[in-house]
Amino acid sequence: MDLGLGISKKWDYFMDKFFLFLTFLGAVLVPLFLIGILIVFLKEASLAIQKFGFVSFIFSSEWDPVFEKFGGAVPLTGTIIVAFIALILGVPIALGIAIFVSEVCPNFLKQPIRLAVDLLAAIPSIIYGLWGLFTLAPIHARYIEPFLQKVFTPIPFLGKLFEGTPLGIDLFTAGIVLSIMIIPFTASIAIESFYLVPRVLKESAYGMGATKWEVIRDVMFPYCRIGIFGGIGLSLGRALGETMAVAFALGNINNFPTSLLTPTTTVTVKLANEFTEADKDIHLSALFYLALLLYIMSLFIIGSSKYFIMRVREK
Amino acid sequence: MNVELEVKNLSFYYAGCSEPSLKNINFPIYKHKVTALIGPSGCGKTTLLRCFNRMHDLYPGNKYEGEILFRGRNILAPEVDLIELRTKIGMVFQKPTPFPMSIFDNVAYGLRLRGIKNKKELAERVEKALREAALWDEVKDKLKESGLSLSGGQQQRLCIARAIAVEPEVLLFDEPTSALDPISTAKIEDLIVQLKEKITIVIVTHNMQQAARISDFTAFMYLGELVEFGPTEKIFTNPEKKLTEDYITGRFG
Repeated sequence: MDLGLGISKKWDYFMDKFFLFLTFLGAVLVPLFLIGILIVFLKEASLAIQKFGFVSFIFSSEWDPVFEKFGGAVPLTGTIIVAFIALILGVPIALGIAIFVSEVCPNFLKQPIRLAVDLLAAIPSIIYGLWGLFTLAPIHARYIEPFLQKVFTPIPFLGKLFEGTPLGIDLFTAGIVLSIMIIPFTASIAIESFYLVPRVLKESAYGMGATKWEVIRDVMFPYCRIGIFGGIGLSLGRALGETMAVAFALGNINNFPTSLLTPTTTVTVKLANEFTEADKDIHLSALFYLALLLYIMSLFIIGSSKYFIMRVREK
Repeated sequence: MNVELEVKNLSFYYAGCSEPSLKNINFPIYKHKVTALIGPSGCGKTTLLRCFNRMHDLYPGNKYEGEILFRGRNILAPEVDLIELRTKIGMVFQKPTPFPMSIFDNVAYGLRLRGIKNKKELAERVEKALREAALWDEVKDKLKESGLSLSGGQQQRLCIARAIAVEPEVLLFDEPTSALDPISTAKIEDLIVQLKEKITIVIVTHNMQQAARISDFTAFMYLGELVEFGPTEKIFTNPEKKLTEDYITGRFG
C-alpha cells in the first residue's frame, strides 16, 4: 500500500513474502520425502509383491536367487530378534543410568555423566561394528560363550538358548553391540522423564517413610510410564534401523537362528550385501520389498512412540 | 500438658549458605494440640516444619545445629532412622500429591510399606483412615479409580487419609489449604481440629485467620528467628512484642 510518503516498501514486501515461502518449502519437503520414498519403494517392489504376495513373502524363508524364489522370513525375524535382544540388554542399563543420574548421583557428577552418555551416541555406528567384530567377537568365542554354555546347558529351556558352536559371530554378540548403541538414546529420554516428576510428589513419598528404591518404583516409574515406554519404542525403532552396524558381528546367513549362538541375517545386512550383486529384476524387486517392509515397520514404531512422548510433554 | 516435641537451640543452614536460615530457635510443641507457625514469606516457617521429619536430608549439604527432642530422643542425631521417624511424624504438603495409583492404593501405600499384606486388615485400615479424613462417603464406590480423578479438595483429604493411615504421632501440614477453594478449606480445617484428639499437629499457614481459628498455640517467626510463642489467643489479642502486633494487625507481611 502506498501511503504517499515517498517510501517504496514494495521490494521489502516482496522479499518478506519470498522468505516466508522458502521456509514453507523447507517444511513441506519433509512429508514429501516420506511419501516420495514410500512411492518409489512401492513401485520398485511391485514385481515381487505381485509374484509373492504379502503373507507368503513374510512367511517364506526361501531366498534363492538362482531359482528366483524369495521370502523375507529370515531377515525379518533376524531384524526383530536382534533389536529385541538389544532392548532386553540395553534398556535396564539405560534405566539404571537414568535413575543414578536423576536420583542418586552427587550434583558435581551429573553433567560429566550426561555428557559421557551423549558422547556414546556420537561414535559412528560402523566403529561399533568393527569393535564388535575385532574385539568383542573373539572374546566371546574364547571365554564368554563357552562359560555361558557351561552355566546354562544343565538348565532346561535356557540351555537351548546357548546351544551350538561358540564362534563369536552370532546373535548374542550383535545384540550386545546394538544394546550399547541404543543406551544413550534410551537413557536421555528416561532422564528427561524423571526430571518431569514433581519434587513435591517425591517428597510426599519420602514423607511416608519410603526408601529411595520405593519412591522410584512406586512413584517415579508409574508417573513416567508413558514417557519411558515411548523412549523404549524410539530405541526399538532405532535398533531396527541400526542393525546394519552389526553386519560384521552377525554373519550373513539366510538361516533362522536356533540359539543365541547362531549367525543369521537382518533386512539391512541383506540389502547392503546383495544390492550390488542382484542382476535379475525379481531379485532387486524382492530386496526393495524387504526395504519397504522395514520402512513401514520403523515408521510405525517411531511414529507411535513419538506420539506418546508428545502427549507426555503436553501434560 | 505434655510436650511432644521440644525444639532446643535449633539453627539450620541450607547447602552452601554461611548465614543460618533458622537462628537459635527454642519452643515446645504440646501433645494433641494444634501449633501454628506464622510469619511473612521467607521467615523460615516451612524450613522449620521440614526439620521435624528431616525432609532437608533429601538434599545434600544441608546442616542442622541444636536439637529437636521427640520423647527424649534427639531426632536430628545422625543415627536416627529416617524411615521410622517419617512413619511417626507424617507430612501433608501445600499441593495435593496423590500418587499415580488408585484411591485405595494411595491410602494403603504407607501400610504396605510397613509390610502389611493381609487384605482384610488393609481394607479395614483404609476405610478407617478415609472415614477419619471425612472422605469415605465420597469415594467408597470408586476406590479402584485413580487418585488423580478426584477434585483438589478431595485429593488433599486423600493425602491426609494416606498420612493418618499409618497412625503417626505427629502430622505436619505445610500450607495445606493454599491451593484450595473456601469450602474445601473449611472441610480441611474441621478435619484438623478433629484429628488433634489423637495426633499432635503442626501447621504452617499464611492465613492468619486460619491460625486463629484452628490452632491452640502459635509461633510467630521473622527472618529466621522465633519472635514470639504462646497460646494462640494471647498471641492474637495481647502479644508481648511490637513486631508480633504489627504483623497480626497487618501492618506488614
